[in-house]
Amino acid sequence: MFNFLKHTTTKKLWIKAPFDGQIIQLEQVPDKVFAQKMVGDGIAINPRGEWVTSPVEGKIVQIFPTCHALGIKTNEGIEVLIHLGIETVKLKGKGFMPLVEKGQAVCVGDRLMRVDWDYIRENAESTISPIIITNGSKVRKMQVLQYGAITAGQDILMITLSND
Amino acid sequence: MQKIEVVLKNEAGLHARPASQFVREANRYKSEIHILKDDIRYNAKSIMSILSSGVEEGSKFIIQAEGEDEKEAVKALQALVDNNFGEQENET
Repeated sequence: MFNFLKHTTTKKLWIKAPFDGQIIQLEQVPDKVFAQKMVGDGIAINPRGEWVTSPVEGKIVQIFPTCHALGIKTNEGIEVLIHLGIETVKLKGKGFMPLVEKGQAVCVGDRLMRVDWDYIRENAESTISPIIITNGSKVRKMQVLQYGAITAGQDILMITLSND
Repeated sequence: MQKIEVVLKNEAGLHARPASQFVREANRYKSEIHILKDDIRYNAKSIMSILSSGVEEGSKFIIQAEGEDEKEAVKALQALVDNNFGEQENET
């Protein structure tokens, strides 16, 4: 009955910058786990400001026990991981103040977390924050839309979803 | 169903590198695979799920598999944890 839906154009999803900062290629992140895309493909930002805002519309699926990363699942089923800084698991939550809970629905631009980047800069490896798609099998194509300086809310990635 | 309790030796916990190795290995099997920590189930085939388990050095967790290749799956994942993910002591 709904067969005609299969013939609609390929779905696309835009990922916005969760903070102001400088866009960096994932390959240049100072942690080979991210640089070699072991966790997934994406982009990184060296952030400024204090807020982390939602890059997509969706639902919070994970807030890590140490608050240094969180995961959002979009309505299309794409999982976006925001990893705040490098080697920040060792901070045991210090410097991170989550403003959302697991299971909560979020809109683009909603404040998710407050981060003390000065503290992170002094106490962790780096403030550079990878933004990763962790279920890459649902992605047909990923395009980086910008390099250099970025403002929170601007488009950074365009995802073409695989049809399945 | 097959399950086994393991102890994580990895210094920084089940962080990104060992977690991604664990998930990659889990995805080689057809069985449904989970880890259980503090009675919470995490999907062993999802990097997001495993990363968020927050398994730390010295903490115990259960590897549980259900399906046609459950024995092999549990054995392989147990070996990965027991061998500390092939991580070198001096690795930064």
